[in-house]
Amino acid sequence: MRPLILQGHTRAITQIKYNREGDLIFSSSKDANPCVWYSSNGERVGTFDGHNGAVWCIDIDWKTDKFLSGGGDMTIRLWDCETGKMLNKVDRDSPVRTALFSYSGNMAVYTTDAAMSKPCEIFFADVRDPTMLGESMTKSTVEGSKVTSILWGPLDDTVVTGHESGKLTQWDLRPSKDGTMFITASKDNTSKLFDIDTLELLKTYKTDRPVNSAAIAPNYEHILLGGGQEAMDVTTTGAKEGKFEARFYHLVFEEEFARVKGHFGPINSLTFHPRGTQYTSGAEDGFLRVHNFDKSYYDYKSDFFL
Amino acid sequence: MHGRLSLSICSRDLVCCSIRIFKNLKFKLLLNFESADQCLSGGVVMAKKKDSVDHDRNGNGDGEPEFSDPEDFVDDITDEELVGDVLRARPKETDGIENVVVVDGLPVVGEDRLDKLKGVIRKIFGKFGNINTESYASTLAEGQTTSYMFIEYSDPLSAAEAVKTMDGYKFDKNHTLLVNLFTDFEKYENISEDWKTPEPQPYKDAGNLWYYLLEPDAFDQYLVVKIGIPKGPHQPSNDVQVWLNAMPEPIELLTRAGGTETIAKWSPLGTYLATFHGKGVAVWGGDKFEKVNRFAHINAEFIDFSPNERYLVTFSPKAERQYDNPEVLIIWEIRTGAKKRTFSEVYKTPWPVIRWSHDDKFFARMGPDTLSVYETPSFRLQDNKSLKVVGIRDFTWSPTDNIIAYWVAENKDVPARVVLIEIPSRSEIRAKNLFNVADCRMHWQKSGDYLCVKVDRYAKVIMKKDKLLDTKYGGMYYNFEVFHLREKQVPVDSVEIKEPIVAFAWEPVGSKFAIIHGEPNSMSTSFWGVKKGDAPTLMKRFEKKRFNSMFWAPQGQFVILAQLKTAEGPLEFIDTSDFSIMNAIMPEMTTDIEWDPTGRYVMSAVSAWTGKVSDTGFSLLNFQGRIIRKERVERFGNLFWRPRPPCLLTHAQVKNIKKNLKTYSPAFEEKDRKRRSKAEQGVIKKRQDLLDAWNEYRLKKQEEYKSQKPKRMFLRNNNDTDELGADKNQLQEEVFEILIKEDVQPLDE
Repeated sequence: MRPLILQGHTRAITQIKYNREGDLIFSSSKDANPCVWYSSNGERVGTFDGHNGAVWCIDIDWKTDKFLSGGGDMTIRLWDCETGKMLNKVDRDSPVRTALFSYSGNMAVYTTDAAMSKPCEIFFADVRDPTMLGESMTKSTVEGSKVTSILWGPLDDTVVTGHESGKLTQWDLRPSKDGTMFITASKDNTSKLFDIDTLELLKTYKTDRPVNSAAIAPNYEHILLGGGQEAMDVTTTGAKEGKFEARFYHLVFEEEFARVKGHFGPINSLTFHPRGTQYTSGAEDGFLRVHNFDKSYYDYKSDFFL
Repeated sequence: MHGRLSLSICSRDLVCCSIRIFKNLKFKLLLNFESADQCLSGGVVMAKKKDSVDHDRNGNGDGEPEFSDPEDFVDDITDEELVGDVLRARPKETDGIENVVVVDGLPVVGEDRLDKLKGVIRKIFGKFGNINTESYASTLAEGQTTSYMFIEYSDPLSAAEAVKTMDGYKFDKNHTLLVNLFTDFEKYENISEDWKTPEPQPYKDAGNLWYYLLEPDAFDQYLVVKIGIPKGPHQPSNDVQVWLNAMPEPIELLTRAGGTETIAKWSPLGTYLATFHGKGVAVWGGDKFEKVNRFAHINAEFIDFSPNERYLVTFSPKAERQYDNPEVLIIWEIRTGAKKRTFSEVYKTPWPVIRWSHDDKFFARMGPDTLSVYETPSFRLQDNKSLKVVGIRDFTWSPTDNIIAYWVAENKDVPARVVLIEIPSRSEIRAKNLFNVADCRMHWQKSGDYLCVKVDRYAKVIMKKDKLLDTKYGGMYYNFEVFHLREKQVPVDSVEIKEPIVAFAWEPVGSKFAIIHGEPNSMSTSFWGVKKGDAPTLMKRFEKKRFNSMFWAPQGQFVILAQLKTAEGPLEFIDTSDFSIMNAIMPEMTTDIEWDPTGRYVMSAVSAWTGKVSDTGFSLLNFQGRIIRKERVERFGNLFWRPRPPCLLTHAQVKNIKKNLKTYSPAFEEKDRKRRSKAEQGVIKKRQDLLDAWNEYRLKKQEEYKSQKPKRMFLRNNNDTDELGADKNQLQEEVFEILIKEDVQPLDE
């Protein structure tokens, strides 16, 4: 499995997303310019230029029509996917941490950090008209620890938030293909699978390093985890100890069955191609790695029954 | 009133009277103290103090203090209670009696030899202090002494020391001295009528202490010490666990949270488990790990079992600083818990300070220029005297014979010497002189067949004039002196190696030794073979491999070369029968390697004692270096395999088994196979259950999902996006034209 290594960002990758069809990869990093790439050959299509700081979150609507980004420059921006033109920009009081289109693509939700004595807030906006981005339909203030990750529930009527505090710190939430389950990634070295309606804990995947990102394979019962030793500790230990490998777990048996090496910094975000034919990981080292699965991956199945 | 009394009563009564007045005053004082205390503790008894002040003022009406007792005063305090300390210090008739010791068991001599006897007595008893008087009883009729005498020292401490040391002293072949304090006679004469012989304690059955040897599959046990959360600033508390290394999964036998304060230790044959506590050491055994005995020795930090587990040595270095007559080192009998011998000071030698002979019959310790050998069970100096060895630096017992090897440092023109002596005869078996010696290390081969002495030698000495003690050596080279113990006259061979030696190890069974040597960036490992009547020969050399430690399997042949305590240290498993590398692995870090007592398995561990926080734990490997199981244990401290006593089979029997291994092995292989397939079936069953439960859950969810389809369609403008390409209307055809190659070919005109 020879990965495509996408070099375009100058700083650590923060988030990666495929569009619904999977032909494009969108990525954001701590540099100010989110990029779009062809998933088939890794060629860069273009960038969204305008932010003045780290971009923390990006999303694409289901039609690959609009693109949403929020970042450390305390703005949330809506872009036209095709032209890369900014449609609207809204200034907020603190950095924008999460941003997400709803299932219908008519609404978007985004949250701001609790910083500079400003509270953490969740905004809901109607994005059918770009000018309405700033006019929050409804707004809620989060007391206590800030929202680090957000997810729409099915049918656009609920959202699930992950918070910084508690036993499970820093969640990264990703839905399964049908949206009935979601997976969390946590600094407590585990990743957990939940039912989105009941929030019932279904499975727990244990590792020995903080997990920054987790994804559910669309076509197999596989889980992909990425993470590694925290970036701030990396320089104090050997390279091998960081464990920056992406790890495959069996969804049902909670057992690890494969690892993919490559990154030399902790993986910050990873995601499967919508068809499950490839996955992309982005790390603190600033690279995106696009892995197309080999035949051996598809053949691997029955090993769990010895 | 005071004046009137003193006039009319005789002097003795006056004393009593004044005491009483004094007493009264003191009583008031006490009262005051009491109230003051209460004030301090926030009480409300100020009034009481005021009362007493008022009382004083009343009595002070004429300006003269009133000390006399009131009319109805009843004296209920005895003099003893009040001035007991003064009364106790009163001189007694018997003062000085504590200084006297009675010595019995002396030889009976006539006047002609009395002076000689006196001389000897003075010499041996004069060690303990100044002798004031000595008196010999004699039967006047025959002019002969009796077998007892008295010695008076100038202070009771010397007398006590003399009794402690000299009681039971072997004066000569036929006379053993019995030494007692004179006061003891009084003590034992006045035993009260009520005194009864202590009841014999009922025998406590500790169960079968060797039950672990009856394990039907010969699985071994291992001990895990986990670093716990300290109970207080100086109260560490660590957890103790014992596991049975069963296949395919280990079985937990014991877990005791806070089971020890520092570490836990197996006895050398595996019978006992010792744990450390602030008050001493506890020893556990039996299948439930019940307490076998405890040994009260405050702050004992080091322990050592004698090789046959009869005795236990505990060492508390802190005791030295705290008491006048400290018990720094105590030797206990494990089964009875009796203190057999104590030492109040220890010459600075590496632990163990007390070194045992292989059969527990002797133990020895080193002092300045002396080597003291003691015998059991009497725990006295063997032959009543220590060996005088000027300049002794180190000594070791042979692991199989009562032979001590020691070495003496070089002193001006006298060369350094390595000497082998036989105990108890103390005859010198072999001595070897060595020149230009900086240091020596003695390594016995486990079977006692060979002794290898690593000698650090120098070409020249660089003396620093200003610092007398700081000697530096230049042009170091190294020798191995191999003593062939089983041959006549004990021949010695030497091997010289120019490079620094990092590690040395004998093959426990067999006749090979391995050396890691070289400069830090070009280290090699060499294997040498020793043969009867031959100098050691180099068998194999692995060049340019960075290792710092090696671990022979307990049965020999296999050895692990390791780079411990560094990040990314390799482990290599070598079969020394043909020097093939069976396996080489690269764990991230290894801090400890422990072979199990049978040599089937080995544990490589990463301990949290080294300060590592994450990734601590251990791996179980087989002797070929294949990883069987990995376990991550948080706060993992140490792992120790439970030792086994030596095999009872004779050499020939073992050889016979090895020869006919094929006839035995199928039964075991069958057992292994069954166990494995059983385990596999268990795993399959577990996974099948998980999968079934999962599928059931998913089926329910998928129904739900399907039922929501219209709503989803509605949200996305009646587009079916559940599957890519599900809605044919959404598909657009795009035609790409890619120019692959452009070729210009000029056509022929």
